[in-house]
Amino acid sequence: MKLLVLKENLNKGLGFTERVVSKSLSLPILNNILLSAKGNFLNLSATDLEIGIRYWVLAKIDKEGKIVIPAKVLASFIGSLPESKISFESINNILHIKGESFKTKIKGFNPDEFPIIPKIEEKEFLELNSAPFCQGLAQVHKYASLNQTRPEISGIYLAFQKNQVQLASTDSFRLAEKTLLLEAGSEKSNFQGQSLILPQKIVQELINIGSEKKGKLKIYLTPNQIMFEFRTKESSQPQLQLISRLIEGDYPNYQEIIPKKYETQIVLPREKFLNHLKTASLFSGRINEVKVKIDPSQEEMEIFSQSSEIGENQSLVQGKTKGKMTEVSFNWRFLIDGLINIQSPEVSFELNGEEGPAALKPVGDPSYIYIIMPIKAS
Amino acid sequence: MNKKELWEAVLAQIQFNISRASFATWFKDTHIISRNKKKVIVSVPSHFSQEWLQNKYDRIILKILHSLDNQIKEIQYTTSQPSLEIAEAPTSLPAVSINNQLEFQELQINTETNLNPRYTFENFVVGPFNELAQAAGWAISKNPGVVYNPLFVYGGVGLGKTHLLQAIGNEVVKNFPSKKIKYIPSEKFISGLVAAIKNHSIEDFKIKYREADVLIIDDVQFLAGKDKSQEEFFHIFNALYEKNKQIALSSDRPPKAIPALEERLKSRFEGGMIADIGSPDFETRMAILKTKTQERRLDFSEKVLEYIASVVQNNIRQLEGALNRLAAYQKLNSQSPDIQIVQTLFKNLITGSTKVANYKKVIQVVSEFYDIKQSDLLSSSRKKEVVRPRQIAMYLLRENLKSSYPSIGRRLGGKDHTTAIYAYEKIVKELKQSESLVEEINYIKQRIYSSLDPL
Repeated sequence: MKLLVLKENLNKGLGFTERVVSKSLSLPILNNILLSAKGNFLNLSATDLEIGIRYWVLAKIDKEGKIVIPAKVLASFIGSLPESKISFESINNILHIKGESFKTKIKGFNPDEFPIIPKIEEKEFLELNSAPFCQGLAQVHKYASLNQTRPEISGIYLAFQKNQVQLASTDSFRLAEKTLLLEAGSEKSNFQGQSLILPQKIVQELINIGSEKKGKLKIYLTPNQIMFEFRTKESSQPQLQLISRLIEGDYPNYQEIIPKKYETQIVLPREKFLNHLKTASLFSGRINEVKVKIDPSQEEMEIFSQSSEIGENQSLVQGKTKGKMTEVSFNWRFLIDGLINIQSPEVSFELNGEEGPAALKPVGDPSYIYIIMPIKAS
Repeated sequence: MNKKELWEAVLAQIQFNISRASFATWFKDTHIISRNKKKVIVSVPSHFSQEWLQNKYDRIILKILHSLDNQIKEIQYTTSQPSLEIAEAPTSLPAVSINNQLEFQELQINTETNLNPRYTFENFVVGPFNELAQAAGWAISKNPGVVYNPLFVYGGVGLGKTHLLQAIGNEVVKNFPSKKIKYIPSEKFISGLVAAIKNHSIEDFKIKYREADVLIIDDVQFLAGKDKSQEEFFHIFNALYEKNKQIALSSDRPPKAIPALEERLKSRFEGGMIADIGSPDFETRMAILKTKTQERRLDFSEKVLEYIASVVQNNIRQLEGALNRLAAYQKLNSQSPDIQIVQTLFKNLITGSTKVANYKKVIQVVSEFYDIKQSDLLSSSRKKEVVRPRQIAMYLLRENLKSSYPSIGRRLGGKDHTTAIYAYEKIVKELKQSESLVEEINYIKQRIYSSLDPL
């Protein structure tokens, strides 16, 4: 393998691929990145046997070939370089890296030892804008269950409909649902009516990648695997592919959880609500309990927390109220988790008594809803 | 050599050719799932293993297989996901969360059967008031469709009907995993039917229920007055009954007391076993409180529990509410409430119950029950259909409110106190002779008290 590549491009690619590299002790080869030069591209691949990533960097290839290099060393080294043009040459599993002002050798491994990332048949696909999709995932991904005893809720649920996709996750204490409209251009989709469960890890990577890469995203689907493909405008070659298995099983019928009505509603300024909660959290003790009390005749909400060791705190937030008087306890962490993913300046907080599910909804944005269960009466 | 031995032989040989780490990574959870003369199908846990075995080890595996059985010419690899079988959700009860964080109940419910695993026979407290129902339920779950078909359980609110029915379902799941069980509240049955009619999918709806091995319908009294639902249910009932499939039903009153229920359904409901769940006696209430405190890891003195058991009499759900209250007190004040505090905490509960069970309430419930006008009941009319209810109202006022005879007489039709005494004594006498009257009166009493909600 012999080639010339721009540092900036390579560095970006290494940033994405390095994140997937696992710190595996049982199979040390997984700590590496596979470099392979072919055509006009240098390909970087990494995997932890859960998900796989492939990234293509435009390069001037003099001699095609492959080598496996420890990810951490390579990424830190390239990151530290001032130069813009770098030449790679592999001789006997040693990577020789040269620039104007330096000469380096990194010991690599036999590329034949590196796991093969599964291929996905590029038949059925759906194309959509990556930014809203990844942002939507970011709004729901945090609530998936960490508990592996119920694998189906440990992932993020995607349901494709005619012109929208629903994203949902729950850990049985709270639930978030985001509805994304598919733009008209994506009618090639034959995913309609399909649904799937994505493992958390791939979602994390998608969010990370999507925050930097704008443009189109293609999704390829097979019965138990999925591939996400990002392209650049300049080239027909995909720039990045992420491959993951899907979680098998039936996602619970979560629609039934979403309350259709409410007993008490208050519309609050989001920022203020958040700040009051943070203050209250200081006094909430070990179980994170804060109590909210809404008296519709007062047009305000009282937030109360107390701990026998520290003391207590009581604060008021003004808001428009409806319905009947109520007093409910919540885990403040769960409330804040929900508020953080709401962007609108005002949020509607809808309660259903002290043991019924409550909802947080951004005012003016029907596409997002966050449901949370209270802490039992005290 | 069978499939398992064959694959073990392959693994035994291949381990010498590759490193231990690769062997552990790529050959973990692999096995032969089928084998015919020429071809062997190997199942692997992931696509990564599949690619790897196919591309790197195919030759060597084939060579070994061939040396073991020279007819084998081809290997095929497929991916299966064994991890799911291992991670099969534990069927035991979810640990009670210490910090009281509530969960979405919907997620606990089995999507196939609609059963909530929380309700089992193990946590069903048995006492003289529900012994019969429990025993019948237990017998059914051991032998569905053979004994007591249908089982009809009735009793007031918050006494454990739903618990018992779901426990039957859960127990059948445990004993006969292959049996199809359907649990549905009658309300859902009705709305399901309405939706099916709307979507022209009524056939699917019928099939869904006719395929069940055990059909459990909760709160059938809501079928009252819904003629089309009753008709469909009647056909489903017959279809299942003829095939000896188990049916279990619950209601808040006995079949014959359900108004606007077709005769043919009534008679069918009565055709199996009817068991009632009454109000728990003191000992059972204590047992329930103790189980609940244990479940929730609370700790209260015997005296406190005894007090609650003596105050809350008619409803198990209220017992739970009372416990919640104590738990909350304990948490807020970080001390166990003593008997004085408990007495003040539940003061309004006692006064509350006597306050609501007043003369008006009795009149209202009695007139509703017998479907006559309140004004008739209060008049001096001597029509037969009014006289009897009036006597019962008099009895109830005397028995439950300890009203004086003259005041009873005065209020009900301006009668003399002797009329009231006569009515009271007449009913007392009849009660000794007629079981059905006891039932009738109990039911009226329940109605009077069930609308009390002191907590």
